[in-house]
Amino acid sequence: MIDIIFHLLFLFLIITAFFMVFTKDLSNSVITLPLFGAILVIIFVILQAPGVALAAAIMTAGLTTAFFVITINKTEYGRNE
Amino acid sequence: MSRLNERFTKLYKIGLVITFAYFLLVLFYDIHNLGTDRKRYLSEHYISQGVQETGATNLVASVLYDYRAFDTLGEATMILTAATVLAFLVPITKATMFGTPFKSIVNQTVKLIIPYIAVLGAYLILFGHISPGGGFVGGVVLSIIAILLTLTYSVEFSEYIFKPDQKKFIEDIGAIGFVLLGLLGIFTGSNFLSNGQANFGTGNAGEVFSAGLMPFINLMIGLKVSAGLAIIFNSLIKEK
Repeated sequence: MIDIIFHLLFLFLIITAFFMVFTKDLSNSVITLPLFGAILVIIFVILQAPGVALAAAIMTAGLTTAFFVITINKTEYGRNE
Repeated sequence: MSRLNERFTKLYKIGLVITFAYFLLVLFYDIHNLGTDRKRYLSEHYISQGVQETGATNLVASVLYDYRAFDTLGEATMILTAATVLAFLVPITKATMFGTPFKSIVNQTVKLIIPYIAVLGAYLILFGHISPGGGFVGGVVLSIIAILLTLTYSVEFSEYIFKPDQKKFIEDIGAIGFVLLGLLGIFTGSNFLSNGQANFGTGNAGEVFSAGLMPFINLMIGLKVSAGLAIIFNSLIKEK
C-alpha cells in the first residue's frame, strides 16, 4: 500500500514540476511552487528524514513563496489591465 | 522560413529537456550504486559513535555543530555577508507597498498566529540537538514573524516593532558569539570549534543542557539567521 502512495506522490511531483515550468501565467507558476514543496515534504517524511523535511517545508512553502510574490509585485506584471 | 525557424527552436527546446533528463538519470543511477562496492568508514563511525562522543541524540546536529562546525561557520558568514551587502546597496527610500489592502480577518489571524510561531521557533532552536530542527530552521521560523508583519501591515509598522538597529545588533551578537564559542575550545587546549574532544562534559544524552557547547551554538546561529533574513527581506521590499 505504501508503495502505491509513494509512486503516486512521485507522479504528482513530476506533474507539478512540469506545470510550474510550462504554464503561461506567472502567478500560477508561483503558487504551484509550495504545492511541489508540500509533496516533497511528504516524501521526505516517508523516507524518515524529518530534519530535511522541516527545512524543505519552511524554505519552499514559506520563504521562497514570499520572496517570489514580492518580486512579481515589484515588476510590471499584471498592472496593465 | 519563419515557420521552419519556429519549429526548429521548439525541437531544440525539447531536445535540451530530454538531454538534461537523460543526464540526470545517469547521474542518479551512478550515485545510487556508489556505496555498494566500497565501505564508508566515516559515516559508520558517525552513526555508531556519534551519540557517545558528542552527547547529541540528533546525529545531523552532531555532524553540523561538532564534527563539521567549521563549515557551519562558513555558511553563517555567508548569510551575514548577504545581509550586509543588501543593507548597503538598497537606498533608504519611502517604502512602496501592495495596492491591495487586506480585510480585517487577515489582520486578526496574523495577530493570533504570531505567538505560536515564536514558540515554535524557540523550541526548534533550543531543542536542536535532541530532536529535528536546529539553528537555521528555527531562525527562519523566527524571521517569518517580521516577514508576516511586513506583508500584512507595512514596512513602517514592522520597523517600528523591530528596529533596524536592534536587528543589526542581534545579528552582530550571533556572529561574534559563534566565533567566541569556537575560541573557547582553544583556551581549553584543543582545536577551534571542538566540542566533544575538548572535555566540556557531554552530560546525559537527551537532556536540554547536554552536548557541551551545542545548545549555545544553536542559539547564536538562530539569532543570527533570524535577524539576517528579516534585514534582507525588509531591504528588498524597500527597493523600487
